[in-house]
Amino acid sequence: MATISSIHGATLSRRQFVKSGGALIVGFTLAGERLLAGAADAPAATGKNSLDAALSASWFEIRSDNTILIRTGKVDFGQSTAHTAYKQLVAEELNVPFEAITSVVMGDTDRTPDGGFSAGFLEYGGQNIRKAAAYTYQALLDLAATTLRVDKAALTVKDGVVSGGGKQITYGELVRGQQLKLSIPVQGDITSMFGLTVTGNPPMKPTSQYTVVGKPFANSVTPSKVTAKEQWVTDVRLPNMLHARVVHPRTLGSTLVSAGTIDKAKFPNAQVIVKGNLVGVVAPTEWEAIKASQAVAAGTKWTDWKGLPGHERVHTWLREKADWKSTPVSKGDKNQGNLAPALQASASTLTASYELPYMKHAPIGPTVAVGDARPDGTVFVHTHNQNPQALRGQLAMMLGTSVDNVVVRIYSGPGHYGRSNGGNAGAEDEAVILSKAVGQPVRVQWMRPDDLQWSTQSPCGYSNIAIGLDNDGRITAYQAEHYMPAMQDDRPVGAVIAGLPTMPAPAPEPPLPIGSTINGIQDPWIYTRVANVSELGYGTYQVGQKESPLAVGLRDHSMRTPGQLQQNYPRELAFSEAAARARLDAIDFRLRQTSDERLIGVLTAVREKSGWQTRPAPSPKASASGSTKVTGQGVSAMLRSGTYWACVCQVSVVPATGKVTVDKYTIAVDPGIVVNPLQLKRQIEGGALMGLSHALYEELTFDESGVTSRDWRSYPILTMADIPEIEVVILSHPEIGSYGGGSEAANALAVSAIAAAFFDATGKAARRLPLKAPYVQSVLNAQNSTR
Amino acid sequence: MALALTVNGTRREVDVPGDTPLLYVLRNDLGLSSPQFGCGLSQCGACSVLVDGKEARSCVLPVSTLAGKQITTLEGLPDRWAKQKGLATAAAKDTLHPVQQAWIETQVPQCGFCQNGMMITATALLEQTPAPTVEQIKAAYMSGPSPHLCRCGTYSAIVEAVQKASALVAKAR
Repeated sequence: MATISSIHGATLSRRQFVKSGGALIVGFTLAGERLLAGAADAPAATGKNSLDAALSASWFEIRSDNTILIRTGKVDFGQSTAHTAYKQLVAEELNVPFEAITSVVMGDTDRTPDGGFSAGFLEYGGQNIRKAAAYTYQALLDLAATTLRVDKAALTVKDGVVSGGGKQITYGELVRGQQLKLSIPVQGDITSMFGLTVTGNPPMKPTSQYTVVGKPFANSVTPSKVTAKEQWVTDVRLPNMLHARVVHPRTLGSTLVSAGTIDKAKFPNAQVIVKGNLVGVVAPTEWEAIKASQAVAAGTKWTDWKGLPGHERVHTWLREKADWKSTPVSKGDKNQGNLAPALQASASTLTASYELPYMKHAPIGPTVAVGDARPDGTVFVHTHNQNPQALRGQLAMMLGTSVDNVVVRIYSGPGHYGRSNGGNAGAEDEAVILSKAVGQPVRVQWMRPDDLQWSTQSPCGYSNIAIGLDNDGRITAYQAEHYMPAMQDDRPVGAVIAGLPTMPAPAPEPPLPIGSTINGIQDPWIYTRVANVSELGYGTYQVGQKESPLAVGLRDHSMRTPGQLQQNYPRELAFSEAAARARLDAIDFRLRQTSDERLIGVLTAVREKSGWQTRPAPSPKASASGSTKVTGQGVSAMLRSGTYWACVCQVSVVPATGKVTVDKYTIAVDPGIVVNPLQLKRQIEGGALMGLSHALYEELTFDESGVTSRDWRSYPILTMADIPEIEVVILSHPEIGSYGGGSEAANALAVSAIAAAFFDATGKAARRLPLKAPYVQSVLNAQNSTR
Repeated sequence: MALALTVNGTRREVDVPGDTPLLYVLRNDLGLSSPQFGCGLSQCGACSVLVDGKEARSCVLPVSTLAGKQITTLEGLPDRWAKQKGLATAAAKDTLHPVQQAWIETQVPQCGFCQNGMMITATALLEQTPAPTVEQIKAAYMSGPSPHLCRCGTYSAIVEAVQKASALVAKAR
């Protein structure tokens, strides 16, 4: 093949003439990997069932009818980013209408290019596909210049039509009859947490010329979900498939003594599969699998185990017993000054400790997957997962086979907000183990207790905060010590239980920082006027991880606004308490500590829109007793993924009953470039309500042996009865030139704003979540005021 | 055992144990995928269907108890609406139920997994109370065996959508 042009590091080659159809297929070469391998001139290796840089695994197909298909390894769970924002970004760079992009292929490991986790959609994957589109645009211009015999610089493109020298040609006409290969430079490891990154610097359209980005677009997937035409992960049925249920160990540390047996008179078609400590029951029909598994569970014997502190004592255990010494301490990148003398010299000092419980990702549907281990050694897994390429790597490791032999296919499913970002949602490994054992496709559906008891959780933790103040209410020193067990255990739990190979459990010396016990500082410092800042992150093993004979314990995983929620909650709540100590309004107080214009912008906006009363807290009408409703207001702020946020919550508290109600939630968001205001608003509203759920209800319960949250009664979440008035204020600043994220943060901002509003309403500081009646009453009945 | 059910206006025969919950029969035997398995405990509403016009949780409803009853799933809502409005077959083919139409216009779903039950409940509510207040809408989602649960926090979008559906129903009168 002859190279016809070189574009900013990418090369375009004309390949064979195609008799019918024709499409510009954009694939890419693994430049980074080749360099790493020391074989810069070798063609990129493309394994079986994998990315073929030339053909199948490509970014875009521009078809002769002027429609375009885009492919991304990111998995949009329904927030619509891949189906709206990604289309918008590609449409801008290619200069085509939004509607020209008619198909989106997501996540399938044999059909998509870049891999990586599905979070930071605009920050990571969005920039990949945008750059790929920019390279492709240059290739199309080159092709048009050759075809039209017009200088490239004289060409213009509008709505997919190239014009120049008095001539015109559509992209469809341009690519008709030929197939082109554009090689785009990338680097990274596709089965890693981060996947591949597109490199180089192709020319990008200036944001000032945007016509598609910034406009509201509906989610093209919504109609199929609303009319029951969507293919959900729950709908996958393969020929000869068996239904399975797994009998998980009795505790988080129990090993198998003996598996129960099947009464063939009752369950003629069911069978028990045992692999290590993993007990599965399969049957041709789902109901037989369910009933047989319940019978087998009743007859299965496990060792006893106790090794957890229980949820009521977990923070005491963390403070007194946990090993915080073996993991290196993280330091904030804005740490400066000299803390101890600054705190000592302060006119007054707030010192307080804040606690968060374990919380669940709690998808509405328990995890489900279909495994299909085929006789030729290939394995297909059908699932709902946020990092399918990483899952592919994990399954290959479990099976001791090449990633070439593993294919992961992705379907719509219940949102689980980070649980599978490191590669597994729960049932995939078990489906593969059971399928391999029976030689048939197997569908593993976790039941509701499995999903609450055997999935990962968002880690608990506590933070010690000290804030020094001068006589003018300026912070002289801020000190935070954040304590949290490892946040990301990506071992597939079925493989662990079965005793099959997995990646290591979180440890101080990890293969990657993200799978370690290290507690990084996740909440960017935004209060630029504070001279002395010290933020330290202390990490440790997961609770029970080392004690459990199964090496399981309470496994953790990142959840919406991961790590940052755990650090922003204590910071922002302590700021509100410090403002009260300084007799200052909580928003004025924050404005006094910063010169960051974007932070000032969101704080000012949220003050204007929320009906905020500018005054110090507690409210003049605050009361910690009586059956009369008292009301309060609270504020919080955050910088996350390039987006500035500020939130105000107004709450009511009935002291006598301990009932806390959120009346109004107002949030201001400045992401820089707003891609799709309609979907951004919906994502924020959803995040807001999830945050109310965290603040008011959510706490994983567990005893010394295992998780006791089994269902929606023992792990309650927010209901329709609890919804407040919500106002979302979107501040568009395209001149900033960056694409801030929008799907996270709104949940995290709620928790500290609600707790601050509780303080305003009652004069009592509640320094742990959730704000359920018994805890609230204990705070209100405590003798000492926290002022 | 052989059983006859009336689903979306059509008689369907299945051969399953009588204690099988309706959910598994709909999904696995009748190819109706709208009701989702959320808890199997009647605690979330993802599996909801209409039984004689009332919202019911198919995950705990033994199929043997449903003889002679009219079962409607999300798939059957367009036909149900067309029959209620006396639409001709041709027109009915292209018509969504106002609830579905409102759900699309309001862009309600995030992941969408719970929305089957949310739309079924909206349908049951609007058939009884065509112009509900916000309080009545909220109450509808808090009634029955359990509140209807959404993890993605679409509750306020749902309230908006029910109001829009109510307006569409009124317009169609």
